[in-house]
Amino acid sequence: MMSKADRWTGLFFALFSTYICVASLRLGLGTFHRPGPGFLSFYAGIILGFLSLALVSLGFFRFFRHPEERASWQSWGRILLVVLAIFVFTLLLEKLGFLPSTFLFIWFLLRVVERRGWGFSVGVALLVALASYVVFDVLLKAQLPAGLLER
Amino acid sequence: MALTWKNLAFAFAGVLLGTLVGVLPGIGPAAGISLLLPSTFHADPISSMIMLCGLYYGTMYGGSTTSILVNIPGEAASIVTCFDGYQMARQGRAGPALGIAAFGSFIAGTISVVGLMFLAPTLASFALKFGSPEYFSLMVMSMTLVTYLSQRSVIKGIMMASLGLVLSTVGLDPVTAELRFTYDTLVLRDGLGIVPVVMGLFGVSEVLLNVGVRIDREVFKTTIKGLFPNRQDWKDSSMPIVRGSFLGFILGIIPGIGIIIPTFMSYGLEKRLSKHPEQFGTGRIEGVAGPESSNNAAATGNLVPMLSLGIPANAITAILLGALTIYGLQPGPLLIREHPDLFWGVIASMYIGNAMLLVLNLPLIPLWVQILRVPYMILYPLILLFCLIGAYSLNNNVGDVIIMGIFGVVGFLMKKFQFEPAPLVLALVLGPMLEDNLRQSLLISGGSFAPFFTRPLSAFFLIISLAILLVPLFKLRSSTPRSR
Repeated sequence: MMSKADRWTGLFFALFSTYICVASLRLGLGTFHRPGPGFLSFYAGIILGFLSLALVSLGFFRFFRHPEERASWQSWGRILLVVLAIFVFTLLLEKLGFLPSTFLFIWFLLRVVERRGWGFSVGVALLVALASYVVFDVLLKAQLPAGLLER
Repeated sequence: MALTWKNLAFAFAGVLLGTLVGVLPGIGPAAGISLLLPSTFHADPISSMIMLCGLYYGTMYGGSTTSILVNIPGEAASIVTCFDGYQMARQGRAGPALGIAAFGSFIAGTISVVGLMFLAPTLASFALKFGSPEYFSLMVMSMTLVTYLSQRSVIKGIMMASLGLVLSTVGLDPVTAELRFTYDTLVLRDGLGIVPVVMGLFGVSEVLLNVGVRIDREVFKTTIKGLFPNRQDWKDSSMPIVRGSFLGFILGIIPGIGIIIPTFMSYGLEKRLSKHPEQFGTGRIEGVAGPESSNNAAATGNLVPMLSLGIPANAITAILLGALTIYGLQPGPLLIREHPDLFWGVIASMYIGNAMLLVLNLPLIPLWVQILRVPYMILYPLILLFCLIGAYSLNNNVGDVIIMGIFGVVGFLMKKFQFEPAPLVLALVLGPMLEDNLRQSLLISGGSFAPFFTRPLSAFFLIISLAILLVPLFKLRSSTPRSR
């Protein structure tokens, strides 16, 4: 069953598949006897594109539509903040090191996303950062980046 | 092999973590295995596989605890257990419900390990006769089955499988050594890593979905006493356990069926066979015994095609297959012959693991109940942190963490727009093998597609794939309202 949103996702995938097919053609399809590097991605892209267009067109027919399939976005602000935290952690990990970035990551989630008190968020963040450092770096030898703390 | 102290410890760690993953809603076996995977890189492959398989079937035990006590399935395979398990708990019979779930899982686990032990080597010797066309067609069939069975919309399923195939071509071309879709990024040269992708699609996306949604986890306040089911409970449950075990194992072998469908089928079967079908949903012990046995048996059944053919039955076994490749082992029919220690080590560990789960789990139930009380706002930062550390420690590279983050967002959007990640993961894992076998077949046949249709087994696999794809069209036709 299809929903209205499928028209847009279908359109997105149709454009994406066009790009894949063009890029695969540039890589070279080769021949059936000797397939080239773009062979599989080209034909997979063709299938993706064809079905995306089918999804778009089916979305216009009411018969195929599911009655109540609207994605709910009520908590989008919190979701965006969590995504932001993940990518900022990634950026800071090697610059600041594991301990400070983990502390900031956990503190941010507790204080900013979950709106917990200062004392609670700082305490838990400190505890989690230290405990995970001991478990992963010291015990499991995961070689996490030292960053600022590097001697 | 499995009886060495080291492997016993790995099996213990696997089943214990598996139960924990099963208990915690919001983190399933796929995310659990991918979180644990990087920490196994320093261990030898056999111990690592013992631990990862232990985690997989351990989840099936843990999932039932939350279904019975909280009416929230720890993972999808325990949804059915809520129907009668929670009602039993409300009537003060949480103990027998938990007990029969554990005993049923143990019996089913043991029966299905025997099945795996006999079936996998036989299937592997048969598969040795396969050439490239048969392999290609078998992979096409597996992907079609997964697509058909895991989706409400077949179109979306095939779209995801195609996307998975496109993503599987990222990196060095194995024949010409040309770089494909790498955009001068070092981390993409070896292809998209299965672990960061899976962690993103299953771990991070699950957290993003749950953030903001209040998870009500009020544990049913009852004293859990008398975990041993009484004589009548055993009388009512023994046949459902046996039926659930066989049903789960047989269905679990078929790629795409996974572990959820057998539980629903087992519940339906028991209800149909019962003299009092109207009482199902009010706390019948058969409604717990059958499905709980079938999910455990199906989890073991899923390992049959993975270990014997190198074909994953679902996203979880796709990750296990990816793990084998990371450990430098070649999955396929030769795996059992070339690495018998791995195969028999895993089998033996499963007997021991199931026994460990039975002995350890019941006394640990109060502990799992305490863990359930940990609020989600503490839990999800930890899950995210483990994902981030896991992705980074794969290659000590921030690139893998970025890939995980991107696929976390992609997975979240996919779930919001009702695209399932399983076909994508399966195609991503099978893609390189599929491409290799396709190119080899075409090279040998001089560019002709005829061998795919003239070789009997290959033709058989392709006919099944075609039939699976055509079924929805017939369904659609028959459900179209006839207008005059």
